[in-house]
Amino acid sequence: MLRWSRAVATLALAMAAGLVLAAPAAAQTDALEIIDRVDRMMRGDSSRGVATMEVVTENWERQMTMEIWSLGTEYSLVRLRTPPREAGTATLKAEADIWNYLPKVDRTIKVPASMMGGAWMGSHFTNDDLVKESRLVEDYDIEITFDGPDDGVAVWDFRLTPKPEAPVVWGHIEYRVRQDDYMPLWTRFYDESGELARTMEYSEFMELGGRLVPGLMDMSPADKPAERTTFRYEELEFDVDLDESFFSLRTLQRGR
Amino acid sequence: MTQSVWRSIGWRNVGRNRKRTLLTALGLAVGFISCVFLVGWFGGILEQMVGNATSLIGGQIEIQDAEYRADQSLYDTIGGRDGVDVDALLRVVDADEAVVASAPRVYAGGLVSSGEATTAGMFFGVDPAREVALTRFLDPLVAGRLPAPGANELLIGEEMARQIEAGLGDELVVVAPGADGSMANDLYAVSGIFRTGLVEFDAATAVLVLSDLQSLVVLDPGRIHEVIASTADFRTADATAARLAAAVNAAVDTGDRPIATLPWTELNPAMVEYVALAESFYWIIQVIVFGIALFGVANTMLMATFERRREFAVMLALGSTPRSLVGVVLWEAFAIGLVSLGIGVAVSAPVMAWLHNAPPSLGFFVSDITMMGALLEPDLRVEYNLPATLYTAVMLVLTAMLAAFYPAIRAARTPPADTLSGL
Repeated sequence: MLRWSRAVATLALAMAAGLVLAAPAAAQTDALEIIDRVDRMMRGDSSRGVATMEVVTENWERQMTMEIWSLGTEYSLVRLRTPPREAGTATLKAEADIWNYLPKVDRTIKVPASMMGGAWMGSHFTNDDLVKESRLVEDYDIEITFDGPDDGVAVWDFRLTPKPEAPVVWGHIEYRVRQDDYMPLWTRFYDESGELARTMEYSEFMELGGRLVPGLMDMSPADKPAERTTFRYEELEFDVDLDESFFSLRTLQRGR
Repeated sequence: MTQSVWRSIGWRNVGRNRKRTLLTALGLAVGFISCVFLVGWFGGILEQMVGNATSLIGGQIEIQDAEYRADQSLYDTIGGRDGVDVDALLRVVDADEAVVASAPRVYAGGLVSSGEATTAGMFFGVDPAREVALTRFLDPLVAGRLPAPGANELLIGEEMARQIEAGLGDELVVVAPGADGSMANDLYAVSGIFRTGLVEFDAATAVLVLSDLQSLVVLDPGRIHEVIASTADFRTADATAARLAAAVNAAVDTGDRPIATLPWTELNPAMVEYVALAESFYWIIQVIVFGIALFGVANTMLMATFERRREFAVMLALGSTPRSLVGVVLWEAFAIGLVSLGIGVAVSAPVMAWLHNAPPSLGFFVSDITMMGALLEPDLRVEYNLPATLYTAVMLVLTAMLAAFYPAIRAARTPPADTLSGL
């Protein structure tokens, strides 16, 4: 969850990875450099954390605590600690695939392509948010649309426009970064007709694992203003000792 | 002279050249038979289409929360969060004189997984006994039996069974977002496999016992999405739905959540439009068939009047008015029309009765067709359509008379002196 909530939100994770390979056009260089720096500040090669996710919908509210491991942009593992009835439920993301482990029936299910748009654990994040995260830099052109003070805070605004034929669901994405500490402030996702679809806001910037990160992220769908998914870090450490073999179906089922 | 004389002469002329009269009459009769058959066959197809669409997996009338239809949300159950007294609701529906069967339904969406294979699934929660009395898709099953309540059993479509390689007795994982936001999941054994012939439906649908699905997706026993009802004749669905709406609103407490009682004509307006389109198509058939007949008859009548121009000349010379000659020819045409109508009815009545009661299958030529969500098993079944038949009969007689109109004018304009002198 950390991987995609944070990275979908900040884009930073993806862009650093893409920066080296993408050989961006001159006009994009500044934008990519800034985003690269945001990313470097916010992420190590690997991480482990504990977070709570609170989901509020028109019909119910629930809170989950989860432990999260990640490696690069390609691998992540999330395991629920609470609520007790669902403790042990886990999601593994490995490259483009997602598996869910269901402790009640002791089975692992690979999420089929047709369900990638479905909600993850009832939140306002989709399975696709996780998979597409690492492809943002490949799928979007990035430009700076604003550079200066807004409400007394110096910020950069970025606009991400999908490249032709990019397999993305958004019409475009807007993204704001605070200049003095390179912290993201918000991300706005627009649909193909240019309507705002959802907004991610970042706050409670704090030192976790030796780095400044947004401690709280809040996702709200534009069509249901009363609904939101709030994501809050309890613990976070970077550059932990993990390799690809950790992100296996065996680990998913083992329930550590 | 009185009209009856011209009528008599007209009628008598019918017997003058019997072969020609018979040929003309047969032309019109074939037109009549074609129209009656085509309209009847088309009616048969529509009947099967609508009948199927309202009995295979759905019903003729759906009673649901007014909000449900727009999003088909899990939460928009009848009576909302508080639910409804399902037994009382079913009693009210069953009490209607026209309702022959009714059944409650709960729906949910999620995943079905067997071993490595996982597919998106639509879950139907049904009351097996009521469902079998109402719809046809679970009776008979391709294999196995209906699920037993509380036994964690389900039915899957034949195509889903093929895709996830599941068979009778296999355990499937069902995952569905619960009404409390949880990722509800459980194991179910395949107790049976059904087949509707609608491939997408058979690939995506799993059927559970209603109470089992409710407990899986964390809905209280009083929370259902629909009650489906059917009458003996789908044409009465609109009137029955109106009665049910009043009865349900009067007798069942759904709090502040209004109920929608929808006949198939509202649920599937495309099909209603299709039926209307088909009915306008009847006109086109008739215009084409009788348009062709018109010229055939006109030709024959023109020949017949030309042959008899000496007779007309004599009549004119004896003081008949041109108008009465027109009358004679038109009466003759009218008589031919009646004769051909007689032939047409005599032939088409037994044929239609046969095709209505024991239609031969067209399975040799075409396989089953899926049209607008309804499955058609092509055969030659016809439906009687009395208004269209009467209309066709009128068209026939009018065609005969219209075809005779120009020959009649020609007859009336016969120059008596020139004709009689052999010019």
